[in-house]
Amino acid sequence: MLTKRLLLLIPLVLVLFLLQSFFWVPTYESQSVGNPGRLRTYIEASIGDAKILNPILNADAASSNIVSRVFEGLLDLDENLNLRGRLATEWSITEGAYLLVNPHHRFPDGHEVTGPQLFQRITQALKAGLIQEMPGMTRPPELLPAGQRMEKVSIVLLDEQGKPRIVEIPLRVEVPERVAFYLTQVDQDLFNRLTPVLGERYFEHFPYEEFIHPQETVDQEVEASLKKKYPEILPAGEHNPTILFRLRQGVKFHDGHVFDAGDVKFTYESIMNPKNLSPRTPDFEPIKHVEILDPFTVRIVYKRLYSPAINAWTMGILPEHLLNEAALTLEKEKRGLSEEAQKTFGMRESQFNRHPIGSGTFQFIEWQGDEFIHLRRFEDYWEGPAQYQDFYMRIIPELFTQEVEFRTGAVDLYGAQPHQVNRYKNDPTYQWFSSLAFAYTYIGYNNRKPLFAEPMIRTALGMAINVDEIIEYLVYGEGERTTGPYPKNTEWYDPSIQPLPYDPQGARDILESAGWKMNADGWLEKNGKIFEFNLITNNGNPIRKNLMTIAQNAWKKIGVKANTQVFEWAVFLNDFVNTGDFDAVVLGWGMTIDPDLYQIWHSSQAGPQQLNFVGYNNPRVDEIIVRIRQEYDRDRQEQLTHELHRLIHEDQPYTFLYAPLSTRVLDKKIVLVEEGPDGQEEYKKIFPIKSGDITFYFHKWRKLEFTPNF
Amino acid sequence: MDQAKPNVPRNAGAVNLDAEGLAPPETPWEEFLRIFKKDYQALLGFLVLVLLLITALAGKALTEWWVVFDPQVVRLTDKFLPPLSVPSPDSIPADRPFAGVYLMGTDELGRDVFARMFQGSFVSLSIGFVAVGISLGIGILLGGLSGFYGHVKLWFITVDTLIMRFTDAMMCFPTFFLILTAVALLPPSIYTIMIIIGLFSWMGTARFVRAEFLSIREQDYVTAAKALGIPEGRIIFRHMVPNALAPVFVSATIGVATAILTESGLSFLGFGVPPPYATWGNILSDGKGFVFDAPGYFHSSPGDFYRRSGL
Amino acid sequence: MWNFIIRNVAQRLILLVIVSFLAHSFIHLAPGEPSEVDPMNPRMKPEDIAKIRAAFHLDDPLYMQYVYWVRDLATGELKSFKDSQPVLPKIWDRFLNSLPLFILATILIWTWAFPTGIYGAVHRGGAYDRLTVFSSYALISVPGFFLSFLAILWVVGWFGVPVISIKTFGMEHAEPIYQAMDRVWHLVIPSIMAAIGGIAILSRYVRSQMLEVLGQDYVRTARAKGLKEDTVIYGHALGNALLPFVTMFGLLLPGLIGGSVIFEQIFAWPGLGRLAFEAILARDFPIIMTLNFIVAVLTLLGTLLSDILYAVVDPRIRLH
Repeated sequence: MLTKRLLLLIPLVLVLFLLQSFFWVPTYESQSVGNPGRLRTYIEASIGDAKILNPILNADAASSNIVSRVFEGLLDLDENLNLRGRLATEWSITEGAYLLVNPHHRFPDGHEVTGPQLFQRITQALKAGLIQEMPGMTRPPELLPAGQRMEKVSIVLLDEQGKPRIVEIPLRVEVPERVAFYLTQVDQDLFNRLTPVLGERYFEHFPYEEFIHPQETVDQEVEASLKKKYPEILPAGEHNPTILFRLRQGVKFHDGHVFDAGDVKFTYESIMNPKNLSPRTPDFEPIKHVEILDPFTVRIVYKRLYSPAINAWTMGILPEHLLNEAALTLEKEKRGLSEEAQKTFGMRESQFNRHPIGSGTFQFIEWQGDEFIHLRRFEDYWEGPAQYQDFYMRIIPELFTQEVEFRTGAVDLYGAQPHQVNRYKNDPTYQWFSSLAFAYTYIGYNNRKPLFAEPMIRTALGMAINVDEIIEYLVYGEGERTTGPYPKNTEWYDPSIQPLPYDPQGARDILESAGWKMNADGWLEKNGKIFEFNLITNNGNPIRKNLMTIAQNAWKKIGVKANTQVFEWAVFLNDFVNTGDFDAVVLGWGMTIDPDLYQIWHSSQAGPQQLNFVGYNNPRVDEIIVRIRQEYDRDRQEQLTHELHRLIHEDQPYTFLYAPLSTRVLDKKIVLVEEGPDGQEEYKKIFPIKSGDITFYFHKWRKLEFTPNF
Repeated sequence: MDQAKPNVPRNAGAVNLDAEGLAPPETPWEEFLRIFKKDYQALLGFLVLVLLLITALAGKALTEWWVVFDPQVVRLTDKFLPPLSVPSPDSIPADRPFAGVYLMGTDELGRDVFARMFQGSFVSLSIGFVAVGISLGIGILLGGLSGFYGHVKLWFITVDTLIMRFTDAMMCFPTFFLILTAVALLPPSIYTIMIIIGLFSWMGTARFVRAEFLSIREQDYVTAAKALGIPEGRIIFRHMVPNALAPVFVSATIGVATAILTESGLSFLGFGVPPPYATWGNILSDGKGFVFDAPGYFHSSPGDFYRRSGL
Repeated sequence: MWNFIIRNVAQRLILLVIVSFLAHSFIHLAPGEPSEVDPMNPRMKPEDIAKIRAAFHLDDPLYMQYVYWVRDLATGELKSFKDSQPVLPKIWDRFLNSLPLFILATILIWTWAFPTGIYGAVHRGGAYDRLTVFSSYALISVPGFFLSFLAILWVVGWFGVPVISIKTFGMEHAEPIYQAMDRVWHLVIPSIMAAIGGIAILSRYVRSQMLEVLGQDYVRTARAKGLKEDTVIYGHALGNALLPFVTMFGLLLPGLIGGSVIFEQIFAWPGLGRLAFEAILARDFPIIMTLNFIVAVLTLLGTLLSDILYAVVDPRIRLH
């Protein structure tokens, strides 16, 4: 019967056809045979897809990976994590400082404060050496006349449901006479040094109301918030740190357009444009204004002391000619959007974010959602083109399949999981790099809850956990103990601080001394309540889930009952972390080299949606944090960070567990290619820089046809 | 068992029953047995299900009420031991497993896989049974309503049209996707998962029950009951429901397996039953990261158990 | 005939409205906020959030949101919360990626389920029948992701060739025939994995349907006439046994797309399932709703086609 034969034949033929395709697919070894382009192609894998390829808008790891290759900043960090010029060739930081006349204050001798008096006394005191030496003052102070300016302030109020109300108020600001100081280095104690002249409490009772006049009548609530802003609008003592950048000449964007100071200013303005909703605003908000002195010189003046500000200039610079008002108008007309869509059209809606053009080492070619992003080297890069011709970032959502692809040669770099590291270390095909990541894992306690209010209790909970065993067995030695909030491989970390010992008995003693007695069921009890709380974490991270189970089990042994729960990330953040409605969490922080920890540890950052979600509050810590972000001198910053580290360690708001090592595995055939003196190519082994990053010299990487011997 | 699966071709159920229309009177239990006997695999499956039920109850009892097997003890020093191995000598005596042997080895935290499987059997099966219970409840209710009161008019449409169009609409959605969305948006708990799975898998049952009701309504004994003036409620619950249910229950056994599988799929995507509850699904998906390194652990027991529960 | 079609189409249009309404209300009734609105980005200030909420009409009443959604969908200006990209082209791209997988999986299911089921029915109770019955139950009851992992592990372990994603990367400079075959190879394992469950279930149906038909009087008559066994089975019985399966065709799609969430996640396949999963993670409501809606539309189209087909081939159904 024909039907019978067909019924049997069709499936067989189909399957045979499918299976024969196997013979056309290259194995690991035969990848570059008949396909030499493979050696010039680099393929990376990422768990998630990029969201938006725009340096001022992106906020996720995958996007920043691509953006950092396509765009280039004014500065970046060199091998030793010092700043290095990229689009800027030179830069200098100076300060202008202004002291307002406080008409209600009296000098220590009872004399009224007036402009000329103030100026004269300061000049005299400086000459007479009455004032402590002012470092970096090259120019004598000046007295500036009074003036007037108009500005607008927006006030945000939250109603009972947490919905914001935004009020814009126009202001007339009468600026009184003031004394100006010019310094070649930033000095946060400048005004304190003037105390012998000014007397105590010069800044405390400054009559802001006399100088700031709202031009509209506002209700009480608004007025109260507005008044709180007065010291920002017209600071009685104002620091204006200033950065002067000289820009590199002859740099081109990928479309051939020449880069200049206009692009820098445009980038700043785009970040501050409220329509763009840039997540970078906090870093650029302290800027007062950006001035273009000539096409290759820009001056950036800051409103106040904020030392992390300079690091923000490592962010990529946008091409003005493709994104300015004219370009966007052209785009929305071309796309034929409806009227309503046209109204809301802005940089966020632009196709630029999916086809970015920058001035970095690689130019953008193609983006297939959830599949790959393809970049190609930029031949006109000012430092010369990279060795690799093509760069792919593939999106592979499962770690297991990432590894499978790596082992079949369809991905070049693999971040080995802790339990796989040993296997790769012993495999002769691969080279591996292990280094401390800028991150740590911790158990955070909600410091607001009475149960965890005492540092002693938190210390006891930390002592019950055997972190060394966790490091040895859970992460297979791919982690190091950490004791505080800074990355271990920076100067900010104080290595002399000892971690908490593993001492369950000691923990029991501490808890007993705090009144917690063991009851008949084996739980600690005080005033009829047992020591019980919820420990939560986000899903999708097996190590955190396991840490949670380990902690639960360890605490059970000292009579503490922890109930564990895992939540999906968005739920975890919205319902628990952001609202502060949790007992304890297992989480991790990824950090930068910035010593500024304001957002995570300052007590003012403990509100809803803020990062100090554990509600840590220590006035001394607050003070040091503020000093650190106002300090521009590295050595003094280091002293301060060590003190901060010690204080936080003593308080144990978190149980600091470990800083993970990250291990990356590469084929041994991938090497650094350098041009020797005789024009001959030289091969070098890839090495990590101080931060542990191996891709610092990525533009020199290439895959060879043979395995070199080093 | 063969014909008993949601999403059967529309007429299949009705066709089968027509053939049985003249069967001699029998009690529901007898009919249940007869359907099972007709297909030895169904009987086997039923027996396995009973066995699993016993295992599940024993699992609950022995891991939570009288803790003989403690699935929660973490012994990092004993991680990834193969089945039938003994704990390392330096482990704390109190932490040793029952009889001093890891029957199925240990997992990545050194927990006893056997104890976890034992506990998981209760959790997994209760997900299966509760979810199927819910979907049967909804399915029978809607299917019954539309089968029996189908001709009643509400405004301009009949009950039957209303319910069946709703059912059709629900069938258009990709079920797993809907379940995933709901589970991801709701706070994760074992109850959410049970309820959600139940709420989104009643459509097959509803259509099936409707077809049964439509054909039973025309049977002689119902006509006879009506003629005798027996109240409608009594006819439905005393005479029709039991007869319609027997084949439905057969399909429920597969429903249990499907629900357990759905949970394992959710576990794989990270939305399964949260710890500390072990389920077969999350034991299996926890193992996925170690496929190359401890293949034994991944291959071992959960897969087998699935096979048996589905049979 | 036309009457029948028009009535069916009209019914389905009404269904479509119900479906769109269900899709919309279902997602908005669940708690949770789009991630860009209540974001992982902790630096977002309340006023920023207010702006985004307003831009996406999140503070409007539900029915208005429904109206906006329908309007934007119709004008093609519906934007994803996540990256402000238009939703429809995005879904279309992913659909094209998933399509080969769906088609191949469907072909595999239907070409394999029939011979397996028919053979089992014809040789009822034999060793082959027992074996297929057992293995199909075994396959039904093992989670798909578990099988996929095993398959990947074995194929990669033994043969060392790439199996993940649409194609082998780094082959852009190879001969076209190699590239084409490479794409075929990458389809093989995921589509087999996606088809296995379907084959197991469908072959059960085919078997029981076949048994049912083989017990009918006309088959007995045909046999009594002395026709060859093959003619009886393939000539008389098969056609009738296959009839009910025509209706299954349309209802296959939701299952495939639902299942594709897992398979595409494992095989890093940039298709509809991945899109759906990422959208769920990001609370990207426009994508989730539209996707549900489009799948429903496709399913309705599928059932419409199979109903018409069924009406055409089955003489018992009168067209009025």
